[in-house]
Amino acid sequence: MVKTTEQIQRDLLRPVLDTSWRVTPALAGLALLVLAGFSAWMYQVYTGIGVAGIRRPVFWGFYITNFVFWIGISHAGTLISAILRLSNATWRRPITRCAEVITVFALLIGAMFPLIHLGRPWLAFWLAPYPNQRGLWPNYRSPLLWDFFAINTYLIGSLIFLMLPIIPDCALLRDHVSGWRNKLYSALSLGWRGTQKQWHRLETAMHIMAILIIPVAVSVHTIVSWDFAMTPVPMWHSTIFAPYFVAGAIFSGIAALIIAMVFLRFSLRLEEYLTAECFDNLGKLLLVMSLLWFYFVFAERLTTWYGNARPEMAVFWLAQRGPYRDLFWVMVGCNFVFPFPLLAIKKLRTIAGTFLASVAVVIGMWIERYLIIVPSLSHKFLPYAWGTYRPTWVEVTITVATFGSMALLYLLFSKVVPVVSIWELKTGLRESEG
Amino acid sequence: MERRDFLKFGVLTGATATLTACEKPVQQLARFVPEEDLVPGVATWKPSLCTLCPAGCGVMVRIMDGDAEVVRNGQRGIIKMGLAKKLEGNPRHPVNRGKLCARGQAGLQVTYHPDRVRTPLKRSASRGSGDFHEIGWQDALREVVTQLEQRSPRRPDSIRFVTGDMRGQRRELINKFLAGLGAPPAAQFAPLGEPVLRRANLLGFGHASLPSFDLERSSYVISFGADFLGTWNSPVSQSIGYGEMRRGRAGRRGKFVQVEQRMSQTGANADEWVSSSPGSEGLLALGLAHVLVKEGLRPNPPVTGPNQDVLARLKNETYSPAQIANRTGVSASRIERLAREMAAQPPAIALIGGAPLAHTNGLFSALAVNLLNMVLGSLGSPGGMFFAPATFSKKEASSPTDHADFVAQLLSGGFENTEVLFLDNTNPVFATPPGWQVSEKLQGIPFIVSFSRFLDETSVLADLILPDHSPLESWLDDVPESGTSEAVLTLAAPAMRPLHNTRAMPDVLLEIAHSYGGSVGETLPWKTFEEMLQSSYRQLVRAEPCDRADGFDKLWEKILQQGGWWDGPCQVRSPEATSLPFPAPEFVPPAFDGSEEEFPFYFQPYVSQAFLDGSLAHLPWMQELPDALATVMWGSWLELNPKTAERLQIQQGDLVQVRSRHGTLETPAVLNPGIAFDVVAMPMGQGHAQFGRYAARRGANPMNVVAPVQVEQVGSLAWAATRVSLARIGTKARLSLASGALYEREKELELR
Amino acid sequence: MSHGWGMAVDLDRCTGCSACVIACQAENNVPTVGEEAAQKSRTMHWIRIERYYEGEFPNPRVKFRPVLCQQCDNAPCEPVCPTYASYHTSEGLNGQIYNRCIGTRYCANACPYTVRTFNFFHPVWDKPLHLQLNPDVSVRQLGVMEKCTFCIQRIKASEIQAKAENRALGEGEPTPACVQSCAPKALVFGDLNDPDSEVSRLARSPRGTKLLDELGTQPRITYLQRDSWDGQDH
Ligand SMILES: Nc1nc2c(c(=O)[nH]1)N[C@H]1C(S)=C(S)[C@@H](COP(=O)(O)OP(=O)(O)OC[C@H]3O[C@@H](n4cnc5c(=O)[nH]c(N)nc54)[C@H](O)[C@@H]3O)O[C@H]1N2
Ligand SMILES: Nc1nc2c(c(=O)[nH]1)N[C@H]1C(S)=C(S)[C@@H](COP(=O)(O)OP(=O)(O)OC[C@H]3O[C@@H](n4cnc5c(=O)[nH]c(N)nc54)[C@H](O)[C@@H]3O)O[C@H]1N2
Ligand code: SF4
Ligand code: SF4
Ligand code: SF4
Ligand code: SF4
Ligand code: SF4
Repeated sequence: MVKTTEQIQRDLLRPVLDTSWRVTPALAGLALLVLAGFSAWMYQVYTGIGVAGIRRPVFWGFYITNFVFWIGISHAGTLISAILRLSNATWRRPITRCAEVITVFALLIGAMFPLIHLGRPWLAFWLAPYPNQRGLWPNYRSPLLWDFFAINTYLIGSLIFLMLPIIPDCALLRDHVSGWRNKLYSALSLGWRGTQKQWHRLETAMHIMAILIIPVAVSVHTIVSWDFAMTPVPMWHSTIFAPYFVAGAIFSGIAALIIAMVFLRFSLRLEEYLTAECFDNLGKLLLVMSLLWFYFVFAERLTTWYGNARPEMAVFWLAQRGPYRDLFWVMVGCNFVFPFPLLAIKKLRTIAGTFLASVAVVIGMWIERYLIIVPSLSHKFLPYAWGTYRPTWVEVTITVATFGSMALLYLLFSKVVPVVSIWELKTGLRESEG
Repeated sequence: MERRDFLKFGVLTGATATLTACEKPVQQLARFVPEEDLVPGVATWKPSLCTLCPAGCGVMVRIMDGDAEVVRNGQRGIIKMGLAKKLEGNPRHPVNRGKLCARGQAGLQVTYHPDRVRTPLKRSASRGSGDFHEIGWQDALREVVTQLEQRSPRRPDSIRFVTGDMRGQRRELINKFLAGLGAPPAAQFAPLGEPVLRRANLLGFGHASLPSFDLERSSYVISFGADFLGTWNSPVSQSIGYGEMRRGRAGRRGKFVQVEQRMSQTGANADEWVSSSPGSEGLLALGLAHVLVKEGLRPNPPVTGPNQDVLARLKNETYSPAQIANRTGVSASRIERLAREMAAQPPAIALIGGAPLAHTNGLFSALAVNLLNMVLGSLGSPGGMFFAPATFSKKEASSPTDHADFVAQLLSGGFENTEVLFLDNTNPVFATPPGWQVSEKLQGIPFIVSFSRFLDETSVLADLILPDHSPLESWLDDVPESGTSEAVLTLAAPAMRPLHNTRAMPDVLLEIAHSYGGSVGETLPWKTFEEMLQSSYRQLVRAEPCDRADGFDKLWEKILQQGGWWDGPCQVRSPEATSLPFPAPEFVPPAFDGSEEEFPFYFQPYVSQAFLDGSLAHLPWMQELPDALATVMWGSWLELNPKTAERLQIQQGDLVQVRSRHGTLETPAVLNPGIAFDVVAMPMGQGHAQFGRYAARRGANPMNVVAPVQVEQVGSLAWAATRVSLARIGTKARLSLASGALYEREKELELR
Repeated sequence: MSHGWGMAVDLDRCTGCSACVIACQAENNVPTVGEEAAQKSRTMHWIRIERYYEGEFPNPRVKFRPVLCQQCDNAPCEPVCPTYASYHTSEGLNGQIYNRCIGTRYCANACPYTVRTFNFFHPVWDKPLHLQLNPDVSVRQLGVMEKCTFCIQRIKASEIQAKAENRALGEGEPTPACVQSCAPKALVFGDLNDPDSEVSRLARSPRGTKLLDELGTQPRITYLQRDSWDGQDH
């Protein structure tokens, strides 16, 4: 069924222009969850970081797991959409914006964790290089500084990348609304009038951004991996970490995107836009990433085992046979064993199939981050100083709340901006007709 | 501080300033640094004494200025004063030569402990309830005097005094006080007083005191259960010697063999660790001596006189390695090898302490090891063992039964007629098995006065608590009896002013004596303990004329400056070895309480590295110090072999119940690969019901299962003579472990 | 000549007595954390006595090893610190600027020796235990990393004293608190830049090893291995 431009415009503006009564309780529920997380954090700031479960020698736990996880999720969007744009995959049109917005929100959430986990978060600004009388600068050799720059660059880049293609849609909205909303969309549309020159500039800007954002995205998770790989910690200090992390990030990012699309499809009744074809294509991508993930894990474990260095083997066995054994196999199940048939067998690669696979992958990838961080730290070089880690309710609450905040932000966004790019679909329609 | 308080304290500091100004310069020098001499940020070091264990190490206290909240004349406020900041060893002190053990350094926290008794207390509810109300010193002292006046005058034992291990003039004062009242001398209750070894030393060497060892120059050390690098005898002195024994002589590293069933902190350092069956240590010593004598490897120097007899009996086949191998659990070839090694590596010494002396046959074991020392020729020779020479106070103060007499007297009804009981620095309710009913017996005494600084299991029974100053706030004197081969008197003036409304126990006794009047007033003519100390040291000068040269004031000044009297012109060296006829060794098998079938494990409590017998459990630094081997903090535990644990399906940290014929206790299990399969061990010191916020209601007291069995012929507690059974009653008890692994390499994953 | 402070630990002398642990705690205002925190291994000791069993009954052996900050010349804790709170001093030590620390705990992860301790809460001294605090050493606060400083306050005091008296520092000057307290003299401290110092002599011992030498951290502490007894010359 081929749609007309009018239909497209009507269907996609609907979620923004009319609000269903169901939205309010959803918003309230999510807001409550976020508030719970925020309260837990404030309690931690007030009482001390000790209310979290971290201890010697596991000085990083849930918070850094969340940091790596959410920064990983952020690779969904911008990177995927940039690649698809550059490769001019037509099925990308309905999904680029959902993807790009995941990036921005996941980055915002992920970037909070380095602050949440600080012993003295009120001094977090010392990470920033700002001119001061004492001539004190941050330490540029620290991967945390690299993080600071990489994440900020990626955040700004992703925002631009998200906002550029929103301009024409905002202009469209501007022409459909009045009052304060009109003012809002006028501002967001940056004086868009749809002239040839403006279209040309937008296309060029999009193209440049798509090229630029790919190395930035790759660098971000590379640097996140270097937070670990640059320290002499058993099984962290590894050259495989950068590509392993980037692959894992894209992997979890695609899964997150599929989950978000399923929700949008049903809640905003976008069945005709977020089609089975989109899911099928994304499912194929997820399959490739699942295989790649398995390859990395296998390569990492095999090299460690074969190398048989004592400190690394202590960590190795901890996950294979020790107390983290169960979690390890749940991870392998979630990231490979379970999704593989769902994604590999064409009949199963349905919307439901890809959705189930994606949920498993998101869970599995969270566990993967946890298993990278905790076992290594708990068994460093001197066995006398070995230890364990148990999260507390504060960490759990904050972790759960971040998922709530993702949903909340997404919901709010979908009420302000059409989550499927109207003008791009129109363009696609024109191209297919012409 | 509020403005009102500030005004008050202006007056108060002014008053103290005048006080100091009136004193003689020599006294100013000796006592706390006067406030006007305190320079902010500049430290002064003052000598003191460690009173935490019988070793009696010399201390240097680092004093710096600070603002302390104190009570003066019933008023509370903040004053600037010299505060003790750190304790280090007195470098000139012959016992510890500048070093202190972990406990000694934590002694600082006794002074600053938040739960010190800060003012006299009077019992306001039933005994043991812990309910007291504050009372002024005047009223408190009047009450003591009244009670003394009201007692049955014709009964000498209507007044009794129980002290901890105590020497020197403090002890002298107590006994003079008692003599003046016509009461018997103070009974000592000192769990670490080593009564068994003293008895053996008296019988064999003619000294009822503890030996000193010249480890520095010895080449072979065999220790039967003695934790001589941790808690036993004079551990700091012995540790210094040990270091030199190992690495102090180029080209010669001494060998160290430890015999025990549970690897102690000391045993962990041994080159060879020998496990013999419990109570057979004496027999093993005789086996070694047998080989030495039989093979003509020793004795050296040759033994003459009555002891030849003993040597002849040693050659008897009953002591041959083949004969004793079964009973000791040590193979004949190993006994022979050890004996030959010892002979080939002179000088060699044998030590005995800990569990071997706490079996019912402890005296036999001690005598046997002494005999081994005689055969080795180690008495009084370089690299051997010594007895510190007597000094003026020691002559008066020691009698052989001193260290076991409280229990003996209590059990034989010696306290039944007591009407007024004084307690100083001792906690028998905590450190004795409940079977002896010490608490019940003490509660039958109508009036109990305690000088305790803390509410512990014994002082909580008192009617009146007259809190003593902390050691750093007191005049201290001591006569270390081991750890040195010279005569040593330790003496120290208060290092700082008192923080609370406390008074020095000796001063309080003097005050009571004077109020009471009569003969006790006359025997104690001194106004203060300081005066008494001065007068006794004056006698010292009279007795040792070579010190008289510069006059008493000069000598006194010197003594106070260096922290005691030693290395003077009349320095006394150890006496020569005695030639007492040795008691002929006669093996007595150890007896154990409980049948092997019902109670399959030997229960070995041991002196805790952090708390000793429990007297230091109130110090937070000690609570948080990981035990050297178990690495446990803030609690108690039961050690058992991993194989035994596997058999009983007990895992690291599981809660286990320990049961004997006399009681049960519950505590977490800790795996120890260095303990015999049929032995379980538990540190003493935890399980306090009272004793301040850090110790109270924490862990379990091993005494709760210890059988009330006595060492034969001595009467002290045979605390290693109990058998117990084990049962796992739960998983994952409260346990703070510092160590994450038992092994560094092998098995690191299996045993965690 | 500038100093190069270093230490030697003779494992053949160390008895596991733990006097050094308390000496350091007293000297450096190291707080106690209480049972609940101790159970979570949040204790603060700057020096610990590692205990390892070797073998089992009836032939058990135990190895004690005092572990404190190794003052690595190539310290992994330094480059990772984003604020230079962990930094290298001119005398080759690993300095820790408490005020500059924001509590990322990155350095503690990077330290292969696990000697860094972290203030998970504000330290507490139940009054009047606070009177024991050493005024020469700052009390650290919530959220701050700390570790052995080689008793920098004693080093500085000695250096200033010697300078005021216009003389060079002698042997045993300065002496960190742990070294001061060690009865068997297992710990020796001194100037590695002076080839004649006791610590230099011990550092050249054939028994000398560096802890985790293979990591290339270049520690300033030499461990002299324990000997086994065979009656021979060593
Ligand atoms: N009475 C009085 N009080 C004052 C002032 C005054 O003049 N008089 N001045 C005020 C002023 S201006 C200041 S700046 C503050 C200063 O107050 P603080 O910052 O407390 O200064 P210091 O006492 O000089 O040094 C702090 C600690 O750092 C230790 N230290 C030295 N070097 C190192 C190192 O490399 N690493 C580590 N970890 N520790 C090190 C020292 O031993 C000392 O314990 O005091 C203020 N308070
Ligand atoms: N040896 C050594 N040197 C040090 C330091 C150290 O610890 N040791 N610390 C360093 C540090 S951290 C600091 S902050 C500096 C401080 O060093 P300075 O800045 O020299 O501080 P002060 O000597 O305390 O005070 C300066 C002068 O200000 C005067 N003054 C007081 N009130 C007023 C006022 O209201 N108006 C005016 N005009 N003058 C006033 C005082 O009388 C004094 O003469 O010293 C540094 N130098
Ligand atoms: S051995 Fe320790 S506790 Fe005993 S007196 Fe010496 S320093 Fe004090
Ligand atoms: S004080 Fe010395 S002997 Fe004792 S544990 Fe420390 S390093 Fe070892
Ligand atoms: S031992 Fe650890 S804390 Fe000390 S310098 Fe080396 S890496 Fe840093
Ligand atoms: S915890 Fe403090 S010292 Fe360590 S890396 Fe972070 S900011 Fe630096
Ligand atoms: S050198 Fe000083 S700071 Fe370091 S462990 Fe020893 S006493 Fe503690």
